[in-house]
Amino acid sequence: MKWGMVIDLQKCTGCGECAAACKLENNVAIVEPRESEMGRTMLWMDMLTIYEGEYPRLRVRQIPRPCMHCDHPPCTKVCPVRATYMNEEGIVAQIYPQCIGCRYCMAACPYTVKSFNWYKPSFPPGMDRATNPDVSVRPVGVVEKCTFCIHRLQMAKEQAKFEARDLREGDFQPACADSCPTGAIVFGDLENRDHQVNHLAHSPRAEKLLEDLGTEPKVIYLKEVD
Amino acid sequence: MNHWKLLTIPAFLLFFVGGCSDSGRFSQPIAYNHKKHIEEAGLGCFDCHTGAQTHQKASIPNIHFCKNCHEEAMTDSKEEEKLVGFIKKNELIPWVQVHRVPDHAYFSHRRHVSLGKIACQDCHGDVNNMTLPFTKPHVSINMEFCIRCHESKQVTTDCAACHR
Repeated sequence: MKWGMVIDLQKCTGCGECAAACKLENNVAIVEPRESEMGRTMLWMDMLTIYEGEYPRLRVRQIPRPCMHCDHPPCTKVCPVRATYMNEEGIVAQIYPQCIGCRYCMAACPYTVKSFNWYKPSFPPGMDRATNPDVSVRPVGVVEKCTFCIHRLQMAKEQAKFEARDLREGDFQPACADSCPTGAIVFGDLENRDHQVNHLAHSPRAEKLLEDLGTEPKVIYLKEVD
Repeated sequence: MNHWKLLTIPAFLLFFVGGCSDSGRFSQPIAYNHKKHIEEAGLGCFDCHTGAQTHQKASIPNIHFCKNCHEEAMTDSKEEEKLVGFIKKNELIPWVQVHRVPDHAYFSHRRHVSLGKIACQDCHGDVNNMTLPFTKPHVSINMEFCIRCHESKQVTTDCAACHR
């Protein structure tokens, strides 16, 4: 089993719904504008701005960027305390109580997917009581990142076992895939031939970000065709 | 060198050790008697903690459940009088949750009770013979306790299976 994600850029409109859903699902702290300007914005699902062509034919678009959950993750190799590691199902997990906040992993990640909790997480009035109880609110001084909504996997596995059946394709979907209005984000088991992601990952349109680094991302983009 | 600086180290250690131990005791609003309910009323754990087999949380019963039997006093017990008082006032009993798993760990009763076939007593102790309510946890709920059991039962010890 190897969990992976396919993002179809032909379908993606860059609306940012996935980023908003992710932020709410995972209790990602909201950083004040002044700190945000210092590059301390916290986003597990970021929208990358891509410039294509040159003026006057310049085209700007936004593409979603979660953690790539690399098969050869550079972040896990530098972690001195094994707070980040890849589990048997291919998810690069982040164990917050283990993290000492050295931020080596942030420096090592070529996709810059990791965020550091510079401050005690705070939420605007009203939102503080509405955090998702299925996800912990991280303390100050630890690094965090997209987990492929692993809390949903934990619950989905339990539900499947309770119903005495195997995990089905739709049982475990991260918040971004769940919320995408155009169905551009597809999630599933890359090794399972019955899963849609398995077919899409072998599409001729498939490409990975910074593929030449050899990190083997498990987030695959399907490029646009004209 | 200032001598007072040397004192900060033992002071810090004392603070740290004190903060980490679960010597804290809780007092419950009603001196609930588990033994009596099990032996005399013939109740089982899941009759009152209804979520233990099917949900993540076992749930602690409150007036809406207790009033099935205690709408009127059944005995002369002063503790029951308190309960009837809560029911009459339609006020929730402020039970104190004693066994608490930190937010960053996923713990599900269903996973342990129904799927793992773990006895309630393994974590909560000999509740059947308790005549007074919990004032402190039976075992300190920490990762060492979890891992020891997971290893002996040969179930997953993957960090991401519980951490979230």
